[in-house]
Amino acid sequence: MDTISPFFRSPFTDITGGMIDFQILGRCGKQEMDLMNCIEAYGLGRGIKKCKGYIDDYGECRTLTKQLKRFLAIRKERQRQIACGKLTDDRKYVSPRVDSY
Amino acid sequence: MAEAFQVAKKQDLPPPGGYKPIPFKRIPAKSYFSGYTMFAGFIGMTIGSIYLYNITYKRILKDEIEMRSAKMAIYPALLAERDREYLKQLRRNRDAEAELMRDVPGWEVGTYYGERVYKLIPPDQLVEPIFQEYYAHSDIKEWNKRANIKLLS
Repeated sequence: MDTISPFFRSPFTDITGGMIDFQILGRCGKQEMDLMNCIEAYGLGRGIKKCKGYIDDYGECRTLTKQLKRFLAIRKERQRQIACGKLTDDRKYVSPRVDSY
Repeated sequence: MAEAFQVAKKQDLPPPGGYKPIPFKRIPAKSYFSGYTMFAGFIGMTIGSIYLYNITYKRILKDEIEMRSAKMAIYPALLAERDREYLKQLRRNRDAEAELMRDVPGWEVGTYYGERVYKLIPPDQLVEPIFQEYYAHSDIKEWNKRANIKLLS
């Protein structure tokens, strides 16, 4: 994040600026907007420390790591319980309908 | 030697009356239609078939319109049914997770060991699950059915 923008901004550096964002057709438009507003308010150096919540939420929206880790933990626990016999035939799985997602 | 002159020799003579005349003129194929007749026939058949095609085409357009209208009419109902089933499944998933992770230390339902997925939203706002989360408690067969729904369908 320390290298988001060049040191001296001029029209020459703006020509090839990578100005892609998530505001149109983006899943994370709201989180990105909050993050950018926060960083604009505090500046880059202070903003990284103060806007930790916004950074984490935006990262989570982009990469979905926490949701994946949740899934892995739940699945591991279920396999463990099936393996040690706590969950038997009918209660082993709860499957959704195939056209509902 | 003198008897050889009495016997009539076999000679290769022309048939009596002479040879018939040799046909050397061209014999072209029999033509049923002339060129202009062919063009006229083609144009006539085209006009006739265009007319017949248009009759059927109008009927097909009507059928397509009716099918499209029917699909548009039932689309909201189908969408609503799917959303209802989705929400019901979210509830069932939540209950299954609560029951499954009852004895796991540090686990709170809907979080990752107590850490919320999105920290800066109200606690009761719906966080839509990813595919793996939605199918976290399901049989592998059902998972594959949905994940590979386009493979051979």
